[in-house]
Amino acid sequence: MFMRIPRFRRTGLFSCIGACLAVWAGNSAWAKNQPAPDWAQEAAKAATPADPGDAAAVLLYDEYVITVDDQNHAVERERWATRILKPQGREWGHCAVDYDIDEKLDYFHAWTITANGQQFQAKDTDFEDKGAYDAPELQMTDRIRALNPPAGDPGAVVACETQKRLAPYMDEEDWQIQYPIPVVDEALELDLPPGGHFAQSWSHYPPVKEVEGGANQMRWEIKGMSALDLENLHATPPLEALAARMSVFWGDAAVNGVDNQWRAIGVWQDQLEAHRTDPTPEITARAQALVAGAPDLYTKLSRITDYIQKNVRYFIVEKGIGGWQAHYAGDIFRNGYGDCKDKTTLLIAMLQSIGVRAYYLHVDSERGVIDPDEPSLTGNHMITAIELPEGESDARLMARVKAADGKTLLIFDPTDEETPVGLIRGELQGAYGNLADGADSQVIQMPVLPPDSGGLSRTGSFVLAADGTLSGDVTDVFSGVDAAGERGLLKENTQKDVREGIEVGMSSDLPGATFKGLEFEQTEKLDQPIRLEMQLSAASYAHSAGPLLLLRPRVMGSDARAVPDVMESKARHFPIEIGHPGCWRDSFDITLPAGYAVDGTPDPVNVDVGFARYHSTVTAKGNTLHYEREYVVKDVEIPPSKAADFRMLEGSILEDEKGAVVLKKD
Amino acid sequence: MRTSILLRNALLLAFAASPFLVRAQFQAPTQEELTMTTDPKAPGADAVYLYCEENDNDPLHYQSIYARIKVLTEKGKELATVELPYLSGNFKISDISGRTIHPDGSIYPLTGKPEDLLSEKTGTLQIKRKVFTLPNVEVGSILEYRYDIRYDDNHFSSPMWQIQKPYFVHKAHYSFLPFEAFKAGNAATASNLYLTDERGRAVNTLIWWKRLPGGADIKTDVSGRYSVDVTDVPAIPDEDWMPPIESYLYKVFFYYKAAGNATEFWLNEAKYWQKDVDHFAEPSKAIHDAVNGLIAPSDSDLVKAQKLYAAVQALDNTDFSRTRSESEMKQLKIKAAKRAEDTWSQKSGSSDDIALLYLAMLRAAGLTAYAMKVVDRSERDFDPSYMDFDQLTETLVVLSIGGKETVLDPGEKMCPFDTVSWKHANVRGVRESAQGLSIGLTPAQNYPDNTTERAATLALDEHGGISGNCSIVMVGQAALDWRQMALENDMAEVKKQFDRGLESMVPEGVEAHVDHFLGMDQPDVNLIAMVNIKGTLGTSMAKRLLLPGFFFETRSQVPFVNQEKRLEAVDMHYPERVTDVVTYDLPAGMTVEGAPEDNKIVWAGHAVYVIKSQSSPGKLMIADSEARGFDTATPDLYQDLRGFYQKVATANQEQLVLMQTTNAASN
Repeated sequence: MFMRIPRFRRTGLFSCIGACLAVWAGNSAWAKNQPAPDWAQEAAKAATPADPGDAAAVLLYDEYVITVDDQNHAVERERWATRILKPQGREWGHCAVDYDIDEKLDYFHAWTITANGQQFQAKDTDFEDKGAYDAPELQMTDRIRALNPPAGDPGAVVACETQKRLAPYMDEEDWQIQYPIPVVDEALELDLPPGGHFAQSWSHYPPVKEVEGGANQMRWEIKGMSALDLENLHATPPLEALAARMSVFWGDAAVNGVDNQWRAIGVWQDQLEAHRTDPTPEITARAQALVAGAPDLYTKLSRITDYIQKNVRYFIVEKGIGGWQAHYAGDIFRNGYGDCKDKTTLLIAMLQSIGVRAYYLHVDSERGVIDPDEPSLTGNHMITAIELPEGESDARLMARVKAADGKTLLIFDPTDEETPVGLIRGELQGAYGNLADGADSQVIQMPVLPPDSGGLSRTGSFVLAADGTLSGDVTDVFSGVDAAGERGLLKENTQKDVREGIEVGMSSDLPGATFKGLEFEQTEKLDQPIRLEMQLSAASYAHSAGPLLLLRPRVMGSDARAVPDVMESKARHFPIEIGHPGCWRDSFDITLPAGYAVDGTPDPVNVDVGFARYHSTVTAKGNTLHYEREYVVKDVEIPPSKAADFRMLEGSILEDEKGAVVLKKD
Repeated sequence: MRTSILLRNALLLAFAASPFLVRAQFQAPTQEELTMTTDPKAPGADAVYLYCEENDNDPLHYQSIYARIKVLTEKGKELATVELPYLSGNFKISDISGRTIHPDGSIYPLTGKPEDLLSEKTGTLQIKRKVFTLPNVEVGSILEYRYDIRYDDNHFSSPMWQIQKPYFVHKAHYSFLPFEAFKAGNAATASNLYLTDERGRAVNTLIWWKRLPGGADIKTDVSGRYSVDVTDVPAIPDEDWMPPIESYLYKVFFYYKAAGNATEFWLNEAKYWQKDVDHFAEPSKAIHDAVNGLIAPSDSDLVKAQKLYAAVQALDNTDFSRTRSESEMKQLKIKAAKRAEDTWSQKSGSSDDIALLYLAMLRAAGLTAYAMKVVDRSERDFDPSYMDFDQLTETLVVLSIGGKETVLDPGEKMCPFDTVSWKHANVRGVRESAQGLSIGLTPAQNYPDNTTERAATLALDEHGGISGNCSIVMVGQAALDWRQMALENDMAEVKKQFDRGLESMVPEGVEAHVDHFLGMDQPDVNLIAMVNIKGTLGTSMAKRLLLPGFFFETRSQVPFVNQEKRLEAVDMHYPERVTDVVTYDLPAGMTVEGAPEDNKIVWAGHAVYVIKSQSSPGKLMIADSEARGFDTATPDLYQDLRGFYQKVATANQEQLVLMQTTNAASN
């Protein structure tokens, strides 16, 4: 329901034309008005929860029935009814279903029952088909059929029923049971063929015992699910990482035990990609040429990963099974483009050519979405786990993790064209992924890197004139993960936009500043820092206030993170995302104008809350003012129990950043 | 090919087939093209078009498009992926070919099959797109591709040449060979065709609208072909606060009309429009009955107009709620409104329907009123030389009382009587009047029409903490925006959205939440938001308390401050005045050591910014006000505009310093 696009799709070849014609034929049989079926009328009688909070709508009923035949082919019927509570809740009445070329949408019917009981049936003209679209470089054959419900006004209940035949290899339902709106009554029913079996697991919700309705018929029911409304909360994990859900596998894919289920998924992935990673002679030749003369493993890895990052452009049209299965390494190498699976495939092939083993690692681009306790195919991204030889201790290979079978794996994302081998970006740190390694397949947690994996060192030397004009030079040195971020910025934007972005970003600190110079250096080598040199001048930077001249020693930049709900001391129930580990340092020297003396400086700040620390001082020596601060982050997210520590830390940073030095005329 | 005309009887059309297809051929790159790493004509560009060509051939029913692109940066590699949208059914994209040429001259042909994907399908309308990507693209590559669009015998093409593109174009050639009858000088032949437009008029003229760089023009040759050659076309500008840029880009449109010149066209179209208006807005008996129930004979003309305005504004305006679908209307057994009385009886209608209902009611009440059809200024600029009535999308009503005309906007839900939305102010369109039909201009707004006054009273403690409240009084556009938001959202959601605006409006460390609104449902009164404020504003030092000099908008970035040059006009939508008055109750023992000085920054004839502060024992008041009297400023005024805002930004940085007196400190 609600445009349930699988996070990672599995489809096969099927006739698109046939599917589309079937949809229209199915609807034309409903040309005459049909009253809403009993289930919809019953659902519409359900009361809205007594305290729906800010919900704009309520899901009164949501039922999936999956029927699996003896060929393991599944048909999924969904019925759902939504009551629109507020004008902005109309969007919840826009039922939608997605289907790909190897699925078949048998029908999609919908009715509206208004607040006064009047019924409307949706007609062909109330539906619209759209091609699923992500971006020019990520296109897909998947389609979405969406309803514009008649009479979909506040108070109305929109009831929808769809049935689609799942892709022939689809043997899992990932049942989302919690939404941003409350759910009154929801159920999942699984009807298996004789002798059929299943395996279930739950995420963010205690397991619910299934009710056996008959031979091989299982039904899970949940009533009164609360809304998960993150709309006005800041720095939370994504909804998908917090919402209750359940996964059920059937047929041969169903395996008992969490570890076994993860292993089965990995084996399936391995089989799907069999021989795709076989290196062609051209691949082998290129790989060996790249590593020729390399003094160590790091250099070998760096040269090969760098090659893929720079020479394999991201582009794909995903078609059915192509949502899961990579192209052959040889094709990817020849064309010079592909998606995440393709890039991993080529990397595995090239590494294989030089005697290094590597594996597919199925992850999500957002931390927390993959739950180690709920084995499933959930996840929208594929990266690489590179097996490091025993004893390999190169400190540059930071993103390493020990697998359960003792292998040391280096995690690397070849689709990330800016982060060098040895590091992973913040969103992946601490997240889980499923390693496809045959019988050793397993779920693993990716590492949280140490603070020296990223950050910025900013030094500035300024001269303050008596009229308040500040001028000087600033050097930024971005390292590690932050350097990768800057590379991304430079790559995705025009030079003009980059410059304007910096100028606008600085304008709140230095309004009217003019940048005489602004130049990035060392942008090509991924494992090297990026330097940004700026020469600037800001008129009226220091302000007179009566006989005083006020000067903010923190000239530019901010370490503060805006998390308004936490800062306002609202109760926090979810983790707080705090960015990524790193170390950010500022060191500014400001030469004061003649005739002025320092009459007051802000107090030093020293805060250490475990997951981060902040230190700042202002000192005056002769006619020079020195400001120095260091902000160190050691984690990616913190539990809600540390909200008070976070608030104290941020409050201190904000206070420090506002601090001013008072100058008085001698 | 964006538009087409259905040929009623294609068999009668004179047909002149060209003997061969004109298609651009792949070209061998020059050494200079291969080795270029930057382009002095387009500094900083990610890519440039070395050459573009489009040949449109109606006799042979095809268009041929060719592009040759130099990739200069990583971002420029995006151009290797090409999406070609098309209308499924009558059009086909064929003969796609392409190649990538590396700086060393090696060539990688496009071998993959382009994908044919669905974009959108509603009823029988299906929009699809062909997608392909060129192989082995690297920085420095030359990308080259071409394709044809073919269409059936029942369509004429109406080429729309987008001369200006997102990237610099070194050279481009466009050509169009129309059917024989529409070649230059063949109007007589065309007039004999059974080709008609939507009004049944014989279409006999091929017309073009152009906006071209200096020196470029449309040429015709002996074969009747139209062509344009351009060189060094700058990339589409991308600046903040631009007017609707689509109206200012270099383009050429060809289209077919019954009229031969703009004057004739607008006169004819206006007559048709007026006929439709008069039909819809006829003050029928039902309208007379409704009007009689709404006004009293003793009412003045103005009061009558106001009462009727309130009545139509109260109807369900489906542009702000929900448009009923065709199936819903059928099930409700109601039909689309064809007359004003339909809209009145259904108590529901679109903005246009409601505007015309109001016109009908005014006329039924015996008042003099005219319809006016104008452009939406947020979407485009009106160009009478472009003969397309669809430029005009908005219906207004001109009320004339005692010889004084007032432009009203009854279709703009929650718009107060006697005002219009900024989108309809200072815009041109077609209008009725006692003198007949003409091109008219709606009045421009002035800054007193759109005001926001924020008045805060804040108690300050010795540590910099504050608490208090604030009223935000909105008149004009800001009030209209919030009232329209309240139509589409419940009050809790409106408060959330308002709070989000407050987050960026107040300083760091301060929280502000709207408590309630006054006048949200009453468009004719001021809209007032009552806001509670608390938090930490000041920074405490040994003997001083430092605070931002101004309470509001200190986090916002003053526009234009960092943009040195300007290509396009600045469009700030509407004139406006924003006034802030903040009164602090000072903590005991603290006095003002320094406060923002009284100041007045003037951009003569355009804007003024004033600062005033006043202190008395235990109290300090700081007020500032920016009045901007213009909505748009041409590029030649940009440096003056920027200078004004730079001074404002600098003034906004001033701080407030409070000093602990010895006496109080000892307490």
